[in-house]
Amino acid sequence: MAGLIIDNVQKSFGQTHILKGIDLEIPDGEFVILVGPSGCGKSTLLNCIAGLEEVTSGRILMGDTDMTHAAPKDRDIAMVFQSYALYPNMNVRKNIAFGLEIRKMPKAEIDEIVNNVAKLLQIENLLDRKPSQLSGGQRQRVAMGRSLARQPEVFLFDEPLSNLDAKLRVEMRTEIKKLHQRLGTTIVYVTHDQIEAMTLADRIAVMKAGHVQQFGTPQQVYDDPANMFVAGFMGSPSMNFLRVEVGQNGDDYHVLIASEGHTYQLPCPKAQGDLSGYVGKDVILGIRPEQLTHVMPHVEEGEFVTKVPVKIEVTEPTGADTLVLTRINDEECECRVHPAEAGQPGEMMDILFNMDKAVFFDIETEDRI
Amino acid sequence: MTKSNRSKGIDYWLPKLVLSPTIAITTVFIYGFIFLTAALSVTDEPLMTIFSLTNPNIDFTFDFVGLDHYVKLFENDRWNGALLNLGIFGVLFIGICMIVGLIFAILLDQNIRAEGALRTIYLYPMALSFIVTGTVWKWILNPTVGIEKFMQDIGFTSFTFDWIVDPQMAIYTVVIAGIWQSSGFVMAIFLAGLRGIDTSIIKAAQLDGASLFSVYTRIIIPSMRPVFFSAFVMLAHIAIKSFDLIMALTGGGPGNATDVPAIFMYQFSFTRSQYDMGATSAMIMLMGVAAILIPYLYSELRGEKQ
Ligand SMILES: Nc1ncnc2c1ncn2[C@@H]1O[C@H](COP(=O)(O)OP(=O)(O)OP(=O)(O)O)[C@@H](O)[C@H]1O
Ligand SMILES: [Mg+2]
Repeated sequence: MAGLIIDNVQKSFGQTHILKGIDLEIPDGEFVILVGPSGCGKSTLLNCIAGLEEVTSGRILMGDTDMTHAAPKDRDIAMVFQSYALYPNMNVRKNIAFGLEIRKMPKAEIDEIVNNVAKLLQIENLLDRKPSQLSGGQRQRVAMGRSLARQPEVFLFDEPLSNLDAKLRVEMRTEIKKLHQRLGTTIVYVTHDQIEAMTLADRIAVMKAGHVQQFGTPQQVYDDPANMFVAGFMGSPSMNFLRVEVGQNGDDYHVLIASEGHTYQLPCPKAQGDLSGYVGKDVILGIRPEQLTHVMPHVEEGEFVTKVPVKIEVTEPTGADTLVLTRINDEECECRVHPAEAGQPGEMMDILFNMDKAVFFDIETEDRI
Repeated sequence: MTKSNRSKGIDYWLPKLVLSPTIAITTVFIYGFIFLTAALSVTDEPLMTIFSLTNPNIDFTFDFVGLDHYVKLFENDRWNGALLNLGIFGVLFIGICMIVGLIFAILLDQNIRAEGALRTIYLYPMALSFIVTGTVWKWILNPTVGIEKFMQDIGFTSFTFDWIVDPQMAIYTVVIAGIWQSSGFVMAIFLAGLRGIDTSIIKAAQLDGASLFSVYTRIIIPSMRPVFFSAFVMLAHIAIKSFDLIMALTGGGPGNATDVPAIFMYQFSFTRSQYDMGATSAMIMLMGVAAILIPYLYSELRGEKQ
């Protein structure tokens, strides 16, 4: 097994620069998730790691070996594609065995591996079927089986669950997590699904337009985003961004918000950023919907909690919580309240603004303060 | 209610009304004449009198002779020669067209530049009629004006290429012209098939360690079976019906060296007035085409239903 080092990798197709210098250092056995908007270069990066695309510049190392210019077959990497990419003319057994046959493994050994993999993924009864006779979830298992059989150093997954229905996706997610815990192989995994990213990852790399914006644990990325893009991209429903003015009371800083003609001061914890350079200026306040709740006595006593009456514009019940849409500083703002506490659209409601985890961004650079 | 019923009535009848002349014409001039030809092939001459409209004494009597004409046909040396020629032509034409078409399709599939232009160039012969192809190749292969003369003029005085006038070799010139005409079309079919294959399958095979050669031989080509089948059927029926190409290129000659069933049928029916032999050979050709097309249509329609 081996770790993976991606050192300033750039990739252009003709004049279009897709990857603009990617640096990732992935220790052996880590589960890394790549997220980012469509077209930001996630698949391109996976293809570069696999050797299916030649990098324009930069280096790719596996363990201590420089693999930048190695052929795909010499990299000992297996990849699971979004479309599964099963060989349509071969049955499941042949699909799994193909890579081993190409590597000239003895027949008996191949049979043993195929049977083990089939047992692991519970596809033993499907071995003689063609891919066209399988359901989406079964194909997905076969595609994983094909990569598992080779026992590669590194697994790459390109949106492997995106074609499955919601229930199957949750099941397969758990399977993949178990598999990783059992095998301990390095995995790089692309997904658009927030929950998949948060639950599976040891670390998440958030990409945008060919750059890695942040590379950290799910909790770091969620609570401590590097910039407005990461903050807005991670989390669903997404973080509220409000343009606010910074004020100062002695040593303490606060930001000002207006709701229904009244102005409120929200005290800011020092740990969440040094606002000293911004007194009297505007910043962007980032606050997640779950920090804006109905009135709960034990929360209300907190040092950085303020009660603000707001006007309800829209309510969106999600079952466990109800999302209440309101206007703060003339911008939309979502709050997450208990369904029983949510009022009707047009009514007023008291909302607790908990600033413990609030984050601040510079208006110009959109970076964290 | 009544109104909607009437408008539904028009919707219902209009397509049928528009299509009915075509259906009537097809029924008479295709299926009717197939039936007449079939009847002609198992009866004796007198039936022919119904074709001569100027003859006032139309005689509807005929003798049913069973398979006599078929037996006679297969005892005819010229027919057997024509069948042999069709065999040689068919096998070489279909086989080489498929190989050439597949190779060109695979080469074009490698994301080369100017693919659009090359595709048009290869496909262009298909836009010509077989008559034009035949005539052009007749000139090219004619020893006194074509390749042979050209090579001798530029100094290779001992160069000979006179297959077109050589009874042993003339059928191969038909093969050459046929391939020139049709292989681009086969290439287009194969290219469409190759393009229909998910590129991630090729990527997966590369990661599995397969060379480009084994990617094609073990995965792509085997999964294009339906495409091969379609190409085969189209080429096979071109081969069986081939008439215009040979008429323009060799006229069936030298002698009867490039005779094929279609030419045999034409000459017996229309220059020798042996309608029974003509009809019988036409029926054999129809059976040949049907033997190829029916399984094809069957599998296509069944595929659609699933
Ligand atoms: N072979 C190619 N030639 C030219 N441009 C390409 C090529 N492959 C990808 N691109 C471009 O590179 C960009 C990134 O593509 P990529 O497939 O890596 O996106 P992605 O992040 O995986 O998106 P998605 O989430 O939609 O899968 C896209 O703008 C795409 O148009
Ligand atoms: Mg992608």
